[in-house]
Amino acid sequence: MIQLVESSAPRSVRVRVLRQDAPGEESYWQHFDVPYEPNMNVISVLQKIAALAHAEDGQPVPPVAWDCSCLEEVCGSCTMLINGRTRMACSALVDNLLDEGDEIELRPMTKFPVVRDLCVDRSRLFRSLERVKAWVPVDGSYDHGPGPRVSPEEQEDAYPLATCISCGCCLEACPQFTKIEMVRRDDESQEAFEQRRREAFDEGFVGPHAVSQAMLFNAHPIGKMIADERMESLTSQGGIQMCGNAQNCVAVCPKHIPLTRSIARAGRAATVWAIKKLFDR
Amino acid sequence: MSDRESSPSFLARHQFLIYRLFSLSGLIPVGAFLVVHLLTNASVLAGPGSFQSRVDLIHSLGPLLVPIEWAFIFLPMLFHATVGFIIIANGMPNVGSYPYVSNVRYTLQRATGMIAFAFIVWHVLQLHWLGTPFGGGKFDPHHASSSAATALQPMIVAILYGIGILSTVFHFANGLWTLGITWGLWTSPAAMRRASWISVAVGVVLGGAGLGALAGMRAVDIAEARAIETRMDDVKKMLEGKDTIPEEK
Repeated sequence: MIQLVESSAPRSVRVRVLRQDAPGEESYWQHFDVPYEPNMNVISVLQKIAALAHAEDGQPVPPVAWDCSCLEEVCGSCTMLINGRTRMACSALVDNLLDEGDEIELRPMTKFPVVRDLCVDRSRLFRSLERVKAWVPVDGSYDHGPGPRVSPEEQEDAYPLATCISCGCCLEACPQFTKIEMVRRDDESQEAFEQRRREAFDEGFVGPHAVSQAMLFNAHPIGKMIADERMESLTSQGGIQMCGNAQNCVAVCPKHIPLTRSIARAGRAATVWAIKKLFDR
Repeated sequence: MSDRESSPSFLARHQFLIYRLFSLSGLIPVGAFLVVHLLTNASVLAGPGSFQSRVDLIHSLGPLLVPIEWAFIFLPMLFHATVGFIIIANGMPNVGSYPYVSNVRYTLQRATGMIAFAFIVWHVLQLHWLGTPFGGGKFDPHHASSSAATALQPMIVAILYGIGILSTVFHFANGLWTLGITWGLWTSPAAMRRASWISVAVGVVLGGAGLGALAGMRAVDIAEARAIETRMDDVKKMLEGKDTIPEEK
């Protein structure tokens, strides 16, 4: 099998990159002819493009900008559209991609504002985590004592949710999550702009990742102390009701997190929450 | 609501409630009405008399029928359609890039929702409110099968009805599945798969009833049905004491 692959291996790989020089500017396609090596991933393709420093037609071009860090599908920073599908560049292997077609197409994510080339600004993803208070509230310097006991069953249930790497694949593939791009006005301070942008983000859908994190921390013995605040957030504008049940999130999640289970549990919790709010006040 | 500023914030503040009412209205009363409507119409397969007696039962509500129609059918349907169009406008279907089964269902749910809306508007205008300008006769509750059969005779009307009925049934059956997720009835992937089969069963039964009703109406012998309906009408009038001697026709 290995023999077969090597004998049919191409000498070079044609790569098409959708480039953009700065936020808000026109994007344009550029083609590169990258020398083939076995076991390449998309990151090593981009490294070779940077080393080549010229496009397919021989024209010298600035290297393509991209984000990456861990190179092992843990940091979540190298998400991009590879052959039209959202995934991590580090775990996208060239040999597999060549099975999908002769060319490799790289595009920045479409649901976040482009900073440059394949780099996008994912502030909204992290703002969503703030909206649902995706943390355990244990601030303070005093001794909290031993933590509460968690049964192995609860641990097994929660662990997959804790493997979220904030890569944004679920948001990119979600048809209900649409791009919010804000531009800073000339007369606006950075603080005022960020405040305005936060307000715009808070009107949009929080996204499946945040719903799942809310469920993770609502199941945590200490995290559940602010469960009501999370439910208030999930039932406000842009909350759980914005889900359209396309279930793309769970299909594209590189960590195989049961996102639709979290969404359905959030739906059930929201039903109970709404009834409580209606009758218990 | 006269203040232009307050209307978007009202929708924003009550978005969760509105979307949940939207979800509920798809089942009760709109979906429930669809089930009763299709099964009632399918009774024509047991003969024009059987269908006529069910229509008579509905029309025995007399002057209450119109307010009941508006309160439990038209207004909930308009609410469901209005919110539905807002939801469609805010979504960005991407089935080309992500051709997964549930994503196809997501896209079809929106497409069939729009088809169903157009179909229902036409259907109500054609058979209920206006008649001939909308391609066919008006439904006559005293001559249920014969008037419906007349209106459904043109092949193009029958084809459009077939598309409309199947779209509406798909929208309802698939909507049951999403409703179960929305309200948190089925939460695990295995439960969602089982629930999918419930949707398929509901879809097949209702689709069969709907297409059966369509075929049954078209197969009715109009003259014979008219005779049966007239006889039933005469008996009714006699029992009500309005008309002791049946009119000669």
